[in-house]
Amino acid sequence: MGIYYGLYTITRGFSYVIASMSLPLTMLFLIGIISRGYLLKFAVIGGFISLISTNALSSAGDASFLRLELKFQDLLVTTRITRIDYMLGLMLSYLFFSLPGIAVYAAIGVILNLFTAFRAFALFLIMLSLLISETSLAFIIAGIMKHIRNVWGIVSILSIIFSVIPPIFYPYTYLPKYALYALSISPATPGAVVAQGIFGMQPLNYVMLILLIAETGFYFVLGMNFIKWRES
Amino acid sequence: MIEIYELNKIYNNGVEALKKITTKISKKRTAIIGRNGAGKTTLIRILSTQLMPTSGYALINGLNILNEEQKIRRKVSCIPQEARPVGLLTPYEHILIYLTARGYSFKNASEEARKALKAVNLWENRNTTADELSGGMKRKLFVAMALASNAELVFLDEPTTGLDPLSRLEVWTAIKELGSDLVLTTHYMEEAQSLSEEIVFMENGSIIKQGTFEEVLSEFKGKVRVESRKPVEGWKKVGGLYIKYVDSGEAHEYVKMGYDIKQITLEDLFFKYGVEIES
Repeated sequence: MGIYYGLYTITRGFSYVIASMSLPLTMLFLIGIISRGYLLKFAVIGGFISLISTNALSSAGDASFLRLELKFQDLLVTTRITRIDYMLGLMLSYLFFSLPGIAVYAAIGVILNLFTAFRAFALFLIMLSLLISETSLAFIIAGIMKHIRNVWGIVSILSIIFSVIPPIFYPYTYLPKYALYALSISPATPGAVVAQGIFGMQPLNYVMLILLIAETGFYFVLGMNFIKWRES
Repeated sequence: MIEIYELNKIYNNGVEALKKITTKISKKRTAIIGRNGAGKTTLIRILSTQLMPTSGYALINGLNILNEEQKIRRKVSCIPQEARPVGLLTPYEHILIYLTARGYSFKNASEEARKALKAVNLWENRNTTADELSGGMKRKLFVAMALASNAELVFLDEPTTGLDPLSRLEVWTAIKELGSDLVLTTHYMEEAQSLSEEIVFMENGSIIKQGTFEEVLSEFKGKVRVESRKPVEGWKKVGGLYIKYVDSGEAHEYVKMGYDIKQITLEDLFFKYGVEIES
């Protein structure tokens, strides 16, 4: 399912891929111009985080559409797959869907000489944990909503709160501590903070590393319970 | 074999969709008929383990829906009401996804997909994205998925709702290809008659009648339905018509008076019980 739903969405609906890259690329451009290149690294690393976060959160729309409109989730309930398989399948499809965007940022990162093998691997792990936690958040939203129309609105609002306001495109030290911890409700915040630390742009914050791991597990378990696999 | 014991479903909004149903469904092909809101879909969703009952239980070929759902899901296939395909995927890909989810290897899934798509005359459209398929083709795709599943028991929830007569006939032909036991819901009487050996008539969360076509209509034996478009005192109002059941021997009297005479069909169950309960 991940392969078909993710890969074929790229080839048969490429405009969605472009749309998913538009926000981080716009931010990259603006931040590059306004900071005269000073914060360009933040914008590139933030682009990875934003791309995965936005795509993963947008899956609330797809998850709702598959459940409420197409009844595709119901169709799959009566098979061998479990709710975890279904969640992982959709997550995989969003990983595939994000690949063109990741390739663009990877190319920019290579040009700016940002990567070492360790940093690239660490960034991959951060993106993976964000994919799991934010897709799980999407399943929570999809499980609560009864009408698909409401989902698009909620996702638009949450995309800004979860993917733009957190310190994704700027140094996390610009934020007062209380604001940083308040924004940590979005997994993108600890994800971005840890990434900035690993890339040597800011001090590594171990509390945020623990928070990132904890939120990944927490949201995944919550997502499993909200997915409405076998409704009661 | 489906055995249902005191099955009850009360939704969060307080609606009691099933009222302690107890019955057995043992025929190879069974149609559950009833008006919208009669409880057909709730019953199918519970039996196919998509929905938990409030109380009671059911056995699907001896397996309890309450705690053996994983085993049941290997044996049954359920096509939900108003299921629609994913627009960007092709019929072939839909069946591959469905069959791999059912545990088929990619190779076996490909082979079964090919057979099923040929059986429902969709092979030529196998690589057309679902967005470009007609309504009838989309429904046939879901029947092909059920067909390809080779499940012991297939549930089809209103498989032809909203289709034109020709598309409906095509879907019926596809359904007749199914080798599995079949439980379908419908409010098309001719569909129930054409596709099933047993009829379960539901109204307001209860089973009102169950049996073969002849058995469920036994109370109408030797009778015909007299219809009038104008109000007649003492006759039952059904939509824009006024009806009365009389012995067929008396029919000619009503013909002389200018009334229409109709043979008894499954619709008469709706006229008798559905409308009676509502009025």
